[in-house]
Amino acid sequence: MKTLTTLLLCGLLFSAPANAGVLEDKNCGSCHRLKVEDTETIFTGPDLHYAGNKFQPEWLKQFLINPEVIRPAGFVTDPGFLPKTDLPPHASSSEEDANALAKELMGLKISTSTPVTSEPLTKGLRAKIKYQFERTFGCISCHQSLNLAGKVRGGISGPSLVNAGNRLQADWVSDWLKAPETYTAKRRMPNYKMEPATLDQFTRFLMTLKKENIK
Amino acid sequence: MIINYKLLLTGIVYLAILVTACGQNEQATPAVKPPTQQKAGEVIPQMPQLKPIQVTEDTRQTYQWYCSQCHGVKGKGDGINAKFLTVPPRNHTKAEYLETRTDEQLFEAIKFGGLSVGRAPCMPAWGQTLAEDTIHSLVRYIRELCDCEAF
Repeated sequence: MKTLTTLLLCGLLFSAPANAGVLEDKNCGSCHRLKVEDTETIFTGPDLHYAGNKFQPEWLKQFLINPEVIRPAGFVTDPGFLPKTDLPPHASSSEEDANALAKELMGLKISTSTPVTSEPLTKGLRAKIKYQFERTFGCISCHQSLNLAGKVRGGISGPSLVNAGNRLQADWVSDWLKAPETYTAKRRMPNYKMEPATLDQFTRFLMTLKKENIK
Repeated sequence: MIINYKLLLTGIVYLAILVTACGQNEQATPAVKPPTQQKAGEVIPQMPQLKPIQVTEDTRQTYQWYCSQCHGVKGKGDGINAKFLTVPPRNHTKAEYLETRTDEQLFEAIKFGGLSVGRAPCMPAWGQTLAEDTIHSLVRYIRELCDCEAF
């Protein structure tokens, strides 16, 4: 029996690292959903099983080296989400680890996003969509963003969009606005049925939000 | 005289933004009723039928999940977004105000957003997210929080 246990343990020791990727090595799965089939567990961090659809690789790498706060109030399933609590910062990685993690994360995809145009908005259209962002759809109540003067404003229960243009892929933004249930079963954000033209302009507007534009 | 319509339109949009917005440090009361999510043809043709729907555990959970982000866990208007909004979220425990709003008005505010009933645009439309029965039960829950009625 003792021999059997030793053999089993040895087997585990030798087999686990051989199949494990860097995401597993770093224990990312203890807070983040990494597998599509993992629908039962409640995670305390954002889902990453579609990271390859959602993020821009360069941003991902920089985030892993020098994490920034995206959700000032925590993630939606975090028990401390309401009311606000002080959250521990995300762990930072070495450049080498960040490269490996970003590469693996970019390989996690669940769908083929519909390609959208990333053509910049004219000044007039940007003003129009910014107005809709605040008034027609009320996005600013839960999301921080930048106004036309480059000032940060908005609520904190949703992820900050101040750096959305560097963080997110335009195709994913459009997909999320159109069919968020593809990615997350239960959200705290209202569903919107935007006309295709509005969806296109909204996506392009969100992609103009970049932290280097803060004044 | 050649009128630059594009410039004129941009000017109007800027003016509208100066006059009305939902963010901080800006005026909350719209001078002109701005567009809502509904198309002109879709504007509620008739008052929704009020149903005698009860508050259930689901109602409370729905309120906690969605509404408390701004209105607070106990409905006192002190949710985590509250201090970032120019127009403070409604305190649902204040009968002084809520007894001046009918159930229909509360229903419409939830379903079509604050602007649809002449209130702040910070309150988005939940009609694409919540079923009508759920919205009716939320109205009942607000009545429970304010301990008041208005028909």
